[in-house]
Amino acid sequence: MRGFEYASPTTKEQAVSLLGSSDDDAMALAGGTDLLSLMKDDIVAPRRLVNLKDVAELRGIRLLPDGSLRIGALVTVQELLDNAIVKRGYASLIHAADGITSPQIRAMGTVGGDLCQRPRCWYYRAGFGLLAKDKDGAALVPEGDNRYHAILGNTGPAYFVNPSSLAPALIALGAKLHIFGSGGQVEMNLENFFAAPTSANEKEYRLKPNEIVTEIIVPSAGGWKNATYEVRQKESLDWPLAAASVALKMSGKTIESARVVLGHVAPVPWRSGEAQAYLAGKTISEQVAETAGTLAVARASAMSHNGYKIQLARVAVKRAIMKAAQGGQR
Amino acid sequence: MAVGQNVLRKEGVEKLTGAARYIDDIALEGMLYGKTIRSPLARGLIKSISFDTDFDWSPITVCDWRDIPGENFVALIENDQPLLVARDVRHAEEPILLIAAESRTLVEEAASRIRIEYEELTPVLSIEESLDCREIIYGDDNVFKRFLIARGEVDEGINQGDLIIEGCYRVPHQEQLYIEPQGMIAIPTDTGMTVLGSMQCPYYVHKALKQLFNLSDEQAVVIQTMTGGGFGGKEEYPSMIACHAALLAHKAQRPVKIIYDRAEDIAATTKRHPGVIRHRTAVTRDGRLTASEIDIVLDGGAYVTLTPVVLSRAAIHALGPYRCENVRITARAVATNTPPNGAFRGFGAPQVAFAYEMQMEKIALRLGIDPLELRRINMLKEGDITATGQQLRWSVGSEDVLNAAVERSHFREKQEAIQIERASGDSRKRRGVGLSFFFHGAGFTGSGEAKMKARAGIEITDQGRARVLSSSTEIGQGTQTIFCQIVADELGIGFDDVEIEETDTSRVPDSGPTVASRTCMVVGRVIQLAAREIKEKIKRFAAELFGAPEIDLMEGRFVEGGKVLASFAEVAREYAAQNGKLKVESQYASPMGVEWDDDSYSGDAYPAFSWGAEVAEVEVDMDTFEVSVLKITTAQDIGRAIHPLLAAGQIEGGTLQAVGYGLTEELVWDQGRIVNRMLTNYIIPTSMDAPDMETVIVEKEYPHGPFGAKGVGELPMDGAAPAIAAAVLNATGAFVSEIPVTPERLMMIHEGTRRESNED
Ligand SMILES: Cc1cc2nc3c(=O)[nH]c(=O)nc-3n(C[C@H](O)[C@H](O)[C@H](O)COP(=O)(O)OP(=O)(O)OC[C@H]3O[C@@H](n4cnc5c(N)ncnc54)[C@H](O)[C@@H]3O)c2cc1C
Repeated sequence: MRGFEYASPTTKEQAVSLLGSSDDDAMALAGGTDLLSLMKDDIVAPRRLVNLKDVAELRGIRLLPDGSLRIGALVTVQELLDNAIVKRGYASLIHAADGITSPQIRAMGTVGGDLCQRPRCWYYRAGFGLLAKDKDGAALVPEGDNRYHAILGNTGPAYFVNPSSLAPALIALGAKLHIFGSGGQVEMNLENFFAAPTSANEKEYRLKPNEIVTEIIVPSAGGWKNATYEVRQKESLDWPLAAASVALKMSGKTIESARVVLGHVAPVPWRSGEAQAYLAGKTISEQVAETAGTLAVARASAMSHNGYKIQLARVAVKRAIMKAAQGGQR
Repeated sequence: MAVGQNVLRKEGVEKLTGAARYIDDIALEGMLYGKTIRSPLARGLIKSISFDTDFDWSPITVCDWRDIPGENFVALIENDQPLLVARDVRHAEEPILLIAAESRTLVEEAASRIRIEYEELTPVLSIEESLDCREIIYGDDNVFKRFLIARGEVDEGINQGDLIIEGCYRVPHQEQLYIEPQGMIAIPTDTGMTVLGSMQCPYYVHKALKQLFNLSDEQAVVIQTMTGGGFGGKEEYPSMIACHAALLAHKAQRPVKIIYDRAEDIAATTKRHPGVIRHRTAVTRDGRLTASEIDIVLDGGAYVTLTPVVLSRAAIHALGPYRCENVRITARAVATNTPPNGAFRGFGAPQVAFAYEMQMEKIALRLGIDPLELRRINMLKEGDITATGQQLRWSVGSEDVLNAAVERSHFREKQEAIQIERASGDSRKRRGVGLSFFFHGAGFTGSGEAKMKARAGIEITDQGRARVLSSSTEIGQGTQTIFCQIVADELGIGFDDVEIEETDTSRVPDSGPTVASRTCMVVGRVIQLAAREIKEKIKRFAAELFGAPEIDLMEGRFVEGGKVLASFAEVAREYAAQNGKLKVESQYASPMGVEWDDDSYSGDAYPAFSWGAEVAEVEVDMDTFEVSVLKITTAQDIGRAIHPLLAAGQIEGGTLQAVGYGLTEELVWDQGRIVNRMLTNYIIPTSMDAPDMETVIVEKEYPHGPFGAKGVGELPMDGAAPAIAAAVLNATGAFVSEIPVTPERLMMIHEGTRRESNED
């Protein structure tokens, strides 16, 4: 790891002023579970780390007057899991957080960091860049070992999958994000935060080098059945191979409207319009869930080694729907 | 008595409290940090090396191959592996330059200022590419080594059979993944060089150091520091790192530390040999094997290193623990432009065990015989003869382990329950049970031990305690503890009155490497003999001292006729005062009648075999094809268990490592480089993946082992992969001939099987 300067501001204004105009200048540090490994592997080498952990206003989970839930960016995965309100209303978020299995990562890793963690694509992690190109500029993934790469939204130039497990659950729950920068605070739908990069100097989410995520606002999930289902390699500490988060607004036994978001299958958390449209007006059954799964991957396309993930994504959607129907019990 | 008791491990408290110091915990005055500059290419020629002239190189020590005083190789079997590449790069991650500086940051900075230009050559990256000989990278035909084991008349045997069954099995690389990565510190001394580090075999490192600087036995000193696991991965590769650190230390005339991080360790050091194993078996309708032809090809990587020895063990174990009169086993190891494969727990046996056990499953399937029955019909028993013509004379626990595993696991009841469950309709989660049966030769193969002549000793300290002198290393498996137990009981003193000398080549004799399940059976035996001799000497002395001819030493006291005359310590001190230090060194000699012929590759391959049987229960998700191992019941005959808890620990740990081999561990290669060099994408089973395990230790005593002990280190690695694959077969009907059984692989086989049966 290269040497760096370390700053520990106590307000978000200070934090932002300590950040720079590129990641080479400075980067925000939360739990460090992702950032430090990127630095050790020399994938990023910021000259300054701006520690956010002393910025008290980024902490805490609380109910807002309108019934929505405010989750501070610094809330750890473990705090999320332990929170009574989250446990009561947001099963799908609990399922997703529960999948982050290592106690150490849960204790250090934060919600903001989970959303901003960088892809696990092994080409990226080995120094070939986010778009994974060889020295002649040819894309390595389509012809290389792409067993864990995207099956949706994979027409290029990005082939990696978004690594966040919390993002699909939060998007399905309709979450918004607050971003703070030199121009003050902006609110955006979490879904719009993510975008597949089209050139090498873009990230997979929309955050300027001198901006930070401050909080996530999740609307009340009253009347919404919700659940997440993940498929992973054994019980290992690794990220899921495919996952689906669903939120179903129920009117009696009928689904009034549905949000279906797939994780780990595309460069962004993948909202499935097909499955959502199909589910509206249906009564939940094994068959309905199965069809929704099939529709969710209807536009999926395999690269040379990842056809298997299509089956996993289909199953994940089906099982997430059934899990939500059963009240989201684990 | 200490033997058979679960006494506290000698180094346990130190490890548990964090007091234990591993190599990276040690920092010395003036020490530099070293780094290895490696080739990104699998094959090529170095055209030029340039050093950025804008960078201040004065604080950096740089070594290339020209800094090697003698010949440029790591002393192993063939001496063909260079310490540093001069021109020809033969595998990715091959070391080219060494650099050292006062801080790790500075070393990294310097490393980024070096440019190496190559002329690329076409690499040979797989067994198939090596065998087709389009590119020749070793000898005339890319073959490192061949073995042939022949017994009986194969053609005749084939005629006697009613059916011929063929199978082709593939096994992958596997990474040892010890918790503590590789690391060494080299310290230049007035007379030579001292090396400290994490290792299994101090005398291998010693030999390499002597050769490097042309040092005498005394001038080269090697000290093992507390070692966080080895699994074979610290058998040969530490010699390379030690020589690298020593080259830098020699040039800088300062201590130099080299520690690999996880990525470098996974990318550059040795792996288990991958292989392709073909079986052609003739069987009668009632399930008897009449002939067996087996062809083994292992991928040795770019240099010979230990490959011939691994291949030999693979060949000898290839038929499995089964009787067959007519056998022909051909084995080849080929060269590829990948990092040399090397020692890993099991050493060739897990590879062939997967193949022979899956072949048994296939035979059972074809004949419609129950797989357990098929094993019973063909299993080796006492008095039977193995493929190399070895008659099994003693300590054959084959039937006992199979019976124990079957009974404890309720194998039959489980089989039936599954059948009933299956008949009652299709469930998306299917259960299955599978069985494996295996054996593992303890100690070096063939004449290895006779040639090695392992030495170990005991001395009595000034405090009147016994101290064990041996270069066998503690790598987590319990060497120190069991040695002390053996000495305590043989000598007749308390376990706490035995201690272990530091593993330092200037203080302990060469007991041979800590490998091959040999430490307890072979070195433990040598230590037992030394203890016996010490006891004779000191008893004789005490008899004279007290005028008590019938004197005996029991539990640390000299007694005669029920009367305590003195403590061991008192007599020992008196002995030292009169005769000087009491110290005995013993040497291993093969048991009478154990003979091996290297030319015909026949005879007694091992003085004794350990035996194992395993039952795995799995549940397969028929939508995602995830396999969960619910339970493993394993029975293993290891001779007398000196320390039952440590032995069970070896069995459970080895079994779990084999679960990884069978289910998840897969290295992903791209142009000869490993892509998944991180723990987040090279997936080993965690404690959360560990199935419920039931371990039965069967103790068929081996008359020439210490207190009847054999070996336990490697046997547990052999059985889990085939047992799980058999259980998956039972659950899904998918016959797996390649591991790991990842969900994607299983899905493909299952789709294939379904298509086939639809076409039928
Ligand atoms: C073994 C392992 C298994 C894992 N499994 C999973 C899994 O299954 N699912 C999953 O979703 N995740 C998983 N993770 C990832 C883990 O959840 C993230 O590493 C963690 O949440 C990141 O949080 P952090 O606070 O440590 O982030 P850091 O490492 O501190 O930061 C990560 C990135 O986010 C930026 N950042 C952090 N906070 C902010 C902020 N408030 N504003 C702006 N930028 C910010 C940093 O600059 C950096 O680029 C796993 C990680 C490991 C190591």
